[in-house]
Amino acid sequence: MELAIETNGLTRCFGDVRAVDGLDLRVETGRFYGFLGPNGAGKSTTIKMLTGLLAPTSGTMRVLGQNLADATRAREVKQRVGVVPEDLALFDNLTAREYLTFIGRMYLLPLPTVRERCGELLAMMDLQNEEKKLTLEYSHGMKKKLALAAALLPNPDLLFLDEPFEGVDPVSSRVLRETLHHCVKRGTTVFLTSHVLEIVEKLCTDVGIIAKGRLVSQMTMDDIRKTGSLEERFLAAVGGGHAEAQKLSWLEE
Amino acid sequence: MSVNWSQLQTLLWLRWRLTRNQWRRGGAVNVVIAIIATVIGLGVAAAGFVGGVAGGAMALGQASPTTIMYVWDALAGAFLFFWATGIVAEIQRSETIDLRRLMHLPVTLREAFVLNYIVSHFRFSILVVLPAMLGLALGLIVGHGLVMALLFPLVLGFFFMITAWTYCLRGWLVALMVNPRRRRAVVMGITLAFVLLAQLPNLVFNVWPGGPRHVRGKVPADRAAAEEFMAATARKNSAMKHSLEVANMTVPPLWLPFGAGELAAGRVWPAVWGAAGMWVLGAWGLRRAYRSTLRFYAGQTRRKPAAPRAVEAAAKPGGLILLERELPAVPPAAAALALANFRSLTRAPEVKLALGTNVAIMLVMGLMAFWRTRATISATVSPFAATGVVVITFFGLVQLLFNHFGLDRSGFRALVLTPASRSHILLGKNLSFLPFALGVFAVLELAAVVLARPPIAAIAAACMQFAACFLVIGALGNCFSIIAPYRISSGSLKPTKLKPLMTLIIVASQMLFPLFMAPVFLPVGLGALCAHFGWLPGGAVNLVLSLLLVAASVAVYGFTLKPLGRLLERREQQILQVVTQEVE
Repeated sequence: MELAIETNGLTRCFGDVRAVDGLDLRVETGRFYGFLGPNGAGKSTTIKMLTGLLAPTSGTMRVLGQNLADATRAREVKQRVGVVPEDLALFDNLTAREYLTFIGRMYLLPLPTVRERCGELLAMMDLQNEEKKLTLEYSHGMKKKLALAAALLPNPDLLFLDEPFEGVDPVSSRVLRETLHHCVKRGTTVFLTSHVLEIVEKLCTDVGIIAKGRLVSQMTMDDIRKTGSLEERFLAAVGGGHAEAQKLSWLEE
Repeated sequence: MSVNWSQLQTLLWLRWRLTRNQWRRGGAVNVVIAIIATVIGLGVAAAGFVGGVAGGAMALGQASPTTIMYVWDALAGAFLFFWATGIVAEIQRSETIDLRRLMHLPVTLREAFVLNYIVSHFRFSILVVLPAMLGLALGLIVGHGLVMALLFPLVLGFFFMITAWTYCLRGWLVALMVNPRRRRAVVMGITLAFVLLAQLPNLVFNVWPGGPRHVRGKVPADRAAAEEFMAATARKNSAMKHSLEVANMTVPPLWLPFGAGELAAGRVWPAVWGAAGMWVLGAWGLRRAYRSTLRFYAGQTRRKPAAPRAVEAAAKPGGLILLERELPAVPPAAAALALANFRSLTRAPEVKLALGTNVAIMLVMGLMAFWRTRATISATVSPFAATGVVVITFFGLVQLLFNHFGLDRSGFRALVLTPASRSHILLGKNLSFLPFALGVFAVLELAAVVLARPPIAAIAAACMQFAACFLVIGALGNCFSIIAPYRISSGSLKPTKLKPLMTLIIVASQMLFPLFMAPVFLPVGLGALCAHFGWLPGGAVNLVLSLLLVAASVAVYGFTLKPLGRLLERREQQILQVVTQEVE
């Protein structure tokens, strides 16, 4: 079993708060992994550490078989990884095509390949008519689509997508889902966080649930389906049953 | 229109909390500085009031109406200056209580407008100047009689008119700034206009042939010529006084000084008309402000929607966009970043503002320093002017060169995620600034050639010194950008969320900058020395030493690039945290 992502005791503290607390994650190569958790559970912090945007306080991480503590190896891994981070990574003053060209060239892709892929990605994300706008002028959904296009551009072996469907219109969302499915079929590993359980249920082959920085559940979607729905599993894992008990006094009158 | 007192109190509280939180974000030292500034402000206000009463009653008790008018001119001018500075700072801030943050609450548009207008009065400039003006009015009543009580409606009318029209202007600017790209251009335009306006007195005073510097001069020894000189000076002074009186009579913000002068002369009606005029103008301004607020809220702007500018031949089939080009002898990743950053900087109004302001101020200062003496600049001094331009060029760029990643904001995340070598990232960043530095240098050097006429050898040497400085400052800038990065808010070059230590580092780096640049004067200095003692031709020495300086700089840059790349790799997560911090 080849692992695309492997963490051992991964921890990140912000002052006294342990945002991620001793995370032991195993994601097999070629799987579509959904990483779920309530707000503030540590999903984005985990992705940030796995992509090099944030340093861990302790623990080890191996991505695509390489130890990320080694700077040279980490850079080699980056060459094979595409990322849509939580707060995106766009330059305000570039157009969509310019931004994609920049990303392509930083990944050292040949110019004809960059041009071809830029055209296709802009068309796929329905951004080809917005080429003359600066990303500064984009709506949140358009920015998200551009970030997704940039993540797909280098044809990576591993995709980290932090809430990729948030703010994306239904048409682009569907196209994107199909594209991601196609990527996984070709052997790409996708690591995705989302609050929309239906999307995870439809797309993912594996699911990990994080709560208060700890991995509370990790299983395949097939196993989840055998025992009930993802929502039930999720609520059971994060202790969501309490929500029903909490009522507002003035609405009861 | 009724104003709910509780809501007004809440808005005042909100304004206070926003200000207080902004201070606290800056750390303990910032809080202390803010408290000291507030105490000083209150002290100045109290002192202004007492001083105003004392000055009006005693110092101006017997003063002529013209003197009283000039004193009020100075007060009104000082207030307008501080007020305008506050406006420039305010439009760069995102913490205004705008309608979008109010209209979902239980207030009508009219109430929101009135509440916002009232809250807009709580400004430092009003706090400091209003007590001084009221005190002076009180003092003048003691010195010149009860007729001076008319100064109160004049003073209040002055503030009403200024605040109402400012509010109108701000409403107009807000409507203009709905588009984020246009917002930055507006901020840039206003700041630049303000900077240039502030430089206008310098030009009038020092460069304009009819300016005071040119009027003054030594009295000739010959008696007839001396008399003629004195008569000419008196004529010019009289003309200037007349111009000032006309300005006071016709420019609305100066109706307050004019009214004060007239009241001191015992003429009541000009003051009454002045006060009435200012109240009417204020009401008109407020009405306009409300109507534009109404239109803005209803989306009825008369302006055409901002058409996306043709950025470049991006869609031109077969044509290369700038970012697709190669740079000879530059690694592909460095070239890609250099071109992307260059393209990004050319579209950043804050960069244009910084460069434009620097060039404008340097040209004004150059004109001030050399315009009248340009014919007498010696051959020994003129090469220093050519070299001085190099120093001035980089001094103006220090904020950009010493904080590469501050302008990237979220874009820096893309650099962290990229597999490119970090030394290539630094190289790319440095190269992206080259066209800007070269442009500023070319403009200023041309001005130096016109004003100081340096020899060709000195100009050639200055070009080499420019190259040397670019490399050394590039290396230093890389170092500072990695060690002391800070976030710059969008649309301005204003650092945000600065910690005291960082503030200290930035101030120190800018203050020590002339020291970093000192070696660049070595070639020209030694050249001048050799020429003075007749050892060797100064120009040749300057050229040869400048060439050596270039070689040394290449070595320094080459030697530091890789270690700094490794340092960047180690610190990139900390830098990311700093430059991507959001500002409320």
